[in-house]
Amino acid sequence: MTEDTSFEQEFPVKGGDFSRAGEVSCEIKNLLKELGLSTQVVRRAAIASYEAELNVIMYAQEGSLDLTVTPHHIRIVVEDRGPGIKNIKQAMTEGYSTATTEMRELGFGAGMGLPNIKKNTDKFRITSKVGRGTRLEMIILTDGHPHD
Amino acid sequence: MIKKSRHALHINVDKCAGCVHCLGACPTKAIRIKNEKALIIDDLCIDCGECIRFCPRDAIESQTTSFSDLSVFKYKVAIPATVLYGQFDNATLPSEILFALRRIGFDTVYELSTVSELNNAALDKYIHSHPKPRPLIASTCPVVVRLIQRRYPTLCDFIVPIEPPREIAAKFLRANLPRVLKVAPQDIGIIHITPCPAKMVSINYPVSMEKSYLDGAISIRDIYKPILQALRQSKEDTVMCHLFPETLFSGIGLGTGLSGGETRGLKNHRTVAVSGIQDTIRVLNQVELGLLKDVDLLECMICPDGCVGGPLAVENRFLAKSRILRLVNQVGEHTVVDPSDMSLLYQKDFLSFRHSVKPVKAPPLDTDPVRAIQKAKQRNKLFKQLPAKDCGACGAPDCRTLADDIIRGRALLEDCPFMMKEKK
Repeated sequence: MTEDTSFEQEFPVKGGDFSRAGEVSCEIKNLLKELGLSTQVVRRAAIASYEAELNVIMYAQEGSLDLTVTPHHIRIVVEDRGPGIKNIKQAMTEGYSTATTEMRELGFGAGMGLPNIKKNTDKFRITSKVGRGTRLEMIILTDGHPHD
Repeated sequence: MIKKSRHALHINVDKCAGCVHCLGACPTKAIRIKNEKALIIDDLCIDCGECIRFCPRDAIESQTTSFSDLSVFKYKVAIPATVLYGQFDNATLPSEILFALRRIGFDTVYELSTVSELNNAALDKYIHSHPKPRPLIASTCPVVVRLIQRRYPTLCDFIVPIEPPREIAAKFLRANLPRVLKVAPQDIGIIHITPCPAKMVSINYPVSMEKSYLDGAISIRDIYKPILQALRQSKEDTVMCHLFPETLFSGIGLGTGLSGGETRGLKNHRTVAVSGIQDTIRVLNQVELGLLKDVDLLECMICPDGCVGGPLAVENRFLAKSRILRLVNQVGEHTVVDPSDMSLLYQKDFLSFRHSVKPVKAPPLDTDPVRAIQKAKQRNKLFKQLPAKDCGACGAPDCRTLADDIIRGRALLEDCPFMMKEKK
């Protein structure tokens, strides 16, 4: 794949800043619309990036969403500096959450984040180092989704 | 000179000084300054009328119906928005205002609050019988419908497919007046009296039906003075209105022109009311991300505080709101609409949309995916070159939009005065 046919942009996310939650995923959503991608693809990417953005805000000190768009797929890599995840298998279970009461009171932390990302992406990889941070890589295929 | 377009908003080039007030005010970034004059990009405008509020020279005109346009109709009917009652001082009764409209030249004046209550009851029934999707979004504000079509295509199916009170009232009248009055249908003109320009667009280019039941909309601004004069001239009407209160008002319906007015009638549901364009955009962003699923009905009104904050209203919205709330209290919030009447109309589909709301796709950077990606890259590169002052001197509202305009062939890098300086 040549340099010329892939678009890349990095979006920084600040940990703890709940008031701005959703801004990055909204920007990604609008960008994907402008690239002419189908409503379905845009919706999946927006939901997946929102969940990832929220995880950074909730648990990490800082992080970033790195978006790459090629004619065939959307790739989003989310890296954060934070506590990391001890048991990834457990974290992937629906309803499992380590959110504090405070977060839950704000309506976050239902334990659906990671499962929701998996559901809305075609490829999903998660790696984490306890005490260091977490890295998510997600791919959504845009081929075969005709432009509507 | 006024240019024809699908919109109700037009720039009066004689008054426009080419300043930048409207540029930043436009929530969809639809305005540019070209050749020292403001220009509205038709594809982007949603007719919210925010620009009207910010123009210091009154150069943005809304193309609503003028009173002289009505001469083509032998029989003239007015359906005033309920917020009209908040435009005059506390001593003026709603029935006096209706009387004044008759004195001005309307043959029939149809009071909207009972139909607003009917609409509210239908909304209640719809929410009950449709457990999905959530949150349902009320369709009363035509700008919200247009905003959703353009910016939130996935939310089109969330819009409650029930016509707004003004259209339901006009439909009633269309069906019955020719028979009752023995007048040919084409001789009857039914006119809404509106606090916003968007109602005019919803009449000329309806989203949920082939043809609107209304023939036009007169702005409160335009009809305010004639009403005031009629009120002054006819003191005896006041006595008549006090002695023979002939019109039945609905307290529930009267409140629907205020933000939270629709949700207040829906006591058995979880509701959220939002007003103002920026907050509406913020909340719709959240809904599109799959949030607010625990809310049954979302009421969004583009104008601050609801229709009382409409750009074509006369009285400041705080006073108007206070007067309307006072009226609601006086009339009382009991039901005046017979539930069985509502059920019958609901079953007969009299109140529902003819067809569903369809998304309106904004033009992508390019229809070819590879070229679209290349253009997005170029745009980012351009944006980094620009001074990030968002001054508007280039004619675009901000640097990001200028970069976008250059990519779409609407502007040149040289339009930016800072880039020119660098070149020299």
